[in-house]
Order: sequence, then C-alpha cells, then structure tokens
Amino acid sequence: MTLAELEFQLKKTGIFLQTGSFITHLQTSIPGVAEGIGLLYADYPLLEQTDFTDFHVSLAYPRTLRRWFKPQVLFLFDGKPPFKPLPLDQAFPMFEWGLNWCVSSHANHCLIIHAAVVEKGGYAAILPAPPGSGKSTLCAALVNRGWRLLSDELALVRVSDGLIIPLPRPVSLKNASIDVIRHYEPEATLSRRISDTMKGTVAHMKVPADSIARAAETARPAWVIFPKYQAGAATRLEALPRARAFMRVADNAFNYSLLGVRGFETMAGLIDASLCYDFTYSVLDEAIETFAELKPPVSLM
Amino acid sequence: MSGQALHIRVWEDEFIVYGSLSGNTHLLGPVAAHVLSRLQEAPSDAATLAESLPPLLQANFDGELVPEIEHLLADLGSLELIERA
Repeated sequence: MTLAELEFQLKKTGIFLQTGSFITHLQTSIPGVAEGIGLLYADYPLLEQTDFTDFHVSLAYPRTLRRWFKPQVLFLFDGKPPFKPLPLDQAFPMFEWGLNWCVSSHANHCLIIHAAVVEKGGYAAILPAPPGSGKSTLCAALVNRGWRLLSDELALVRVSDGLIIPLPRPVSLKNASIDVIRHYEPEATLSRRISDTMKGTVAHMKVPADSIARAAETARPAWVIFPKYQAGAATRLEALPRARAFMRVADNAFNYSLLGVRGFETMAGLIDASLCYDFTYSVLDEAIETFAELKPPVSLM
Repeated sequence: MSGQALHIRVWEDEFIVYGSLSGNTHLLGPVAAHVLSRLQEAPSDAATLAESLPPLLQANFDGELVPEIEHLLADLGSLELIERA
C-alpha cells in the first residue's frame, strides 16, 4: 500500500491494525499519523474486516478557532477525548501514547507493568523502570542484537497462567537516546524527531520484522532486571532480594491494586519464576554482553 | 482481624503480606512475620509474643524486648494487618 493509499484509507474507512493480541480501528485525516503508520507499521497485519475490535481510536482536529493559527490534534477513544489536545506536529507520538493508554486502562486480564520485555530462547527478561532510567535505550539495543521485542512500554503478565503476552510496538526513544541508537545501529528505522513534547524530543524505532511475525508467541518470565543508565559507570549486575523486587515491580504496575488478590498472586508467580537484579550500565556493548551471559533460573531449565 | 485474609509469600528472610481488607501489600522482616503468624493462630499480648520469639530473632533487639514488640504491634495495627484490643 502506498502512502497515498494509506492516507486515503485512514481518512475514508480507517484501518484495522493488529498489534500483538489487540486489534485497533484507527481513523484519521492527519497526514503525520499516516506517515508514522506507513513507516513503522508496514510489517503489521492489516485486517480487512473483523468481528471484534479492542479499541476504536481516531485522531482529529479539535473544532476550535485555534486550528486556524495554532493547529492541534485530539486523540479520541470511542469518540471521546481522554486527554487534552496536543500540537498537531505531535499527532503520531500522541497515537502511540494513546494506544499505550488504551491497553493499560483496559487489559485487565493481565497484570500490566511499566516495563520493557525482551526474549531469547523462550525466556523473557522484564525491565521495569521509571522514565529516564535508560530502559528504552537498552531495549532498543537488545532487539538490534538478537533479542525478540515483546514490548517497550507495557509488560503484560497473563493472570490465568503467568505467561508474558507480546505487544511489540515501536520503541519510544527520547532526547539523547535517539542519537545513541542511531549510531549504535545505523540500519534501524527511526521516525522523524518531534521536539518540545511533554517528554522532550521523541522518535520511534521500527520493530524488527521477526518480533512482529512472532507476536502470538508468549514467553516465560525468567528475569526481572531494573536497568539504570549512569554516565561513566561500570557495568554491574547485582542480585536483588525477591521480596524487594516484588515491591518495586508493584510500584511500576498499572493495575496491581485493581486486580486485588489476583494481582498479588500473579506478581508472586512472576517473582517466584524470576531471578531479580539491579543493573547499572553506561556502555551498550557491555550491557549486551551481560545479557548474553544470563542463565535462566534452574527451576525453568 | 475479622474478615481479613492475609496472603503471605516468603523469599529468603523477607515476607510479603497482602491484606484483603485494605488491599495493601507490605514488606515485613522475620520478627514482624513471626508475630503476625502467631497472632493468626490466636490472640496474644506483647509479653507472650516476646517469649515466643526464637533466640535467633531475639538477637535482633538490643534493648528490652517487650516494649519493642509493643511498638511492632502498633505498627502492624496501623497497617491494618492486626486488630488491637
């Protein structure tokens, strides 16, 4: 599909986009969104028709006089705006942030953790961390060095069996990390930079095709690793007591309290199954080496 | 505590407790976990609980044991993990 055809379809009927186990109906006439979708979602399944759609989303121009001198974009979920409008230039990042909100607000069959998740050999490493910790930079580097991307933002731990459900979507890079990844992996496809957002300058990295093709393959949790980028620091992987890890993962979960005792049991299962670490790094190649040497817990081998 | 179900997981010498009434989760050390466990079996007071502490756990305290346990009971009460008479 050419960009012009995509723009036409987005405007006319919208598209049904499958990301992991979620189907989103997206409709918009904003060219910046079509540009981002065309660049970063080219390898995702587009469904012709579907009986069920998880999220009905559109991005639109607010109907205010402001659109004539300082245009904005509005994210609509089921026709209603959950957020205030943003400058029009931020339309594609807003789609990404809005889709994160859709999942984190509605997927309560999973314990949802603010974390990146990567997988190798069937074992998943969960990287929970607050913004600014270098989580997405490390995640982007790992998926360019043989790890499969399950998610950059939302770890979905299925309540029924404790397995991680993939949600491979573009990796959100901010500020200095954009150039770090551009230099680290010149072949990586990045969207154009958008400046002056609430997160600073942002760009999104395209997900490797293999991660998209394997988006239905769940993974077993094996490691919970709290990453922290620290300029000039030596690479250091330190064991973290599991009870401490439990509390810190809970702090990074969206719906732990909402799930009640099911949230507690799911989190306990995740921690039981995982080796837990604090990880400090400043050099990506060393970080990749450290991850390559991770051994899964004996109970999983 | 009436209507309270405590869900407990133990890793190494630390305990995670989820209280069904408050919906809160707490990280407890071994002494607090021992006291909580005894109180789940039957109501008790600080002196009895202090006596029941294994010697290894008693070593955690420098001063008088009973006031320390009283203090711990107050903390557990404020976390809504126990009900004080």
